[in-house]
Amino acid sequence: MTGPAFRDIDRDDALGEAVERLYGCTRAGLLRRAAFGGAAALLATLARPAAAPAAITDVEVLRFGLRFEQLQATFYTQAEELGTIGAMPPAERRWAQTLGAHERAHVKIIKEVLGPKAEPAPAFDFGEANETPAAFTRTAVAMEDLTVALLGGVTPRVQDRGLTAALLGLLTVEARHAAWARHIAGADPAPRPEDEPMALADVQAAVDRTHFVVERPRMGGRAAPPFTG
Amino acid sequence: MDGLDGRVTRGGMVRMAAGAGTVVAGGAALARLGGAVSEAAPSAAQDARLLNVFLLLERLQQRFYAGALERGALRGGLLAFAAKAERQESAHVRRLAARLDGGADPAPDADFTAATSSPERFGRAATELEEAALGAYIAHSAALTREAVAAVVPILSVEARQAAWIRDLAGADPAPRAADPPRDAQDVLDGLRAKELLR
Repeated sequence: MTGPAFRDIDRDDALGEAVERLYGCTRAGLLRRAAFGGAAALLATLARPAAAPAAITDVEVLRFGLRFEQLQATFYTQAEELGTIGAMPPAERRWAQTLGAHERAHVKIIKEVLGPKAEPAPAFDFGEANETPAAFTRTAVAMEDLTVALLGGVTPRVQDRGLTAALLGLLTVEARHAAWARHIAGADPAPRPEDEPMALADVQAAVDRTHFVVERPRMGGRAAPPFTG
Repeated sequence: MDGLDGRVTRGGMVRMAAGAGTVVAGGAALARLGGAVSEAAPSAAQDARLLNVFLLLERLQQRFYAGALERGALRGGLLAFAAKAERQESAHVRRLAARLDGGADPAPDADFTAATSSPERFGRAATELEEAALGAYIAHSAALTREAVAAVVPILSVEARQAAWIRDLAGADPAPRAADPPRDAQDVLDGLRAKELLR
């Protein structure tokens, strides 16, 4: 099975400039390496300057964080269940399995912190983004970079110092994931001296553009319903 | 728990740190987190004290990578890493020194002759220095003023990228825990002295 065509994913053709500005590599180079893809929509938003974020409560930050970790955890768990990760060489398999385990742990942790304020996970549909090792890897790179940008944006804005401290220890793990994923994909693990933070609304917009979050399971084309973290 | 309107409990937060630590690594992180958040309320003086600790760690790393590049014992991936990390640590030093605006402490004293003498020793020392900086940033950044937190976080995540990168190159697990533990700055500095990476 081949991965999705780049055009199918980069629907608004927004990736090129964004990646060039952010990561100092050309669109052509990127396409040659096929390091990114489902990635495209996510990465495109990374280059946008962060808008002045509206005031947001810590509970809203945690709820968004939970949804985002659920998105990631489901992406990895599903890739495991589809056999995508099993088809990878040992070093890459270990990488993918470790990231999955960590994201599932993050879901558990944030759920526990939110307690009854935690909301149920939405349904996710990753299309072909986790059905082949190549598509999986490039989407993972984009997701992990996006998580770093998300936590980089929200962590300085949360009110509670204990929460700030706890988020710092999650942020560094997401940054480790991003660097490891990039190394696996043949991209620069640490492309800039400082990571660009992103406002929560911009991260939401990036996620929206991927259509990974669905109201209802997509019918047909797959025997099992989408997973729900 | 003012910021959470009482809806998220301190107990929950503590479990967040505990859960993060115990998933893979045990409960030590929890005790440390308590220490990290019990510092005095943020102030300009506290910012200066903590930013100077971070500056010391960044300067130490920059000198280590510069020394390794001069020494010439690295090839391939390790060389590329050292060159990139040296440039990034230089940028971090400039950023932190500028933020301290004349209040920066003198540069630390270190001798990296032994630590840069072979690729293996370089890999071990680089990992040690990266993890030391990470632990201190995680432990103390929450005690900074809001503006200083915002300045430090984009640096912190790059330190984490570097830590994963060198661990991968050195054959270690790039991300050994689901949440990284804080490390008290004094313990970090004592540890570096014990390993002769700081005088």
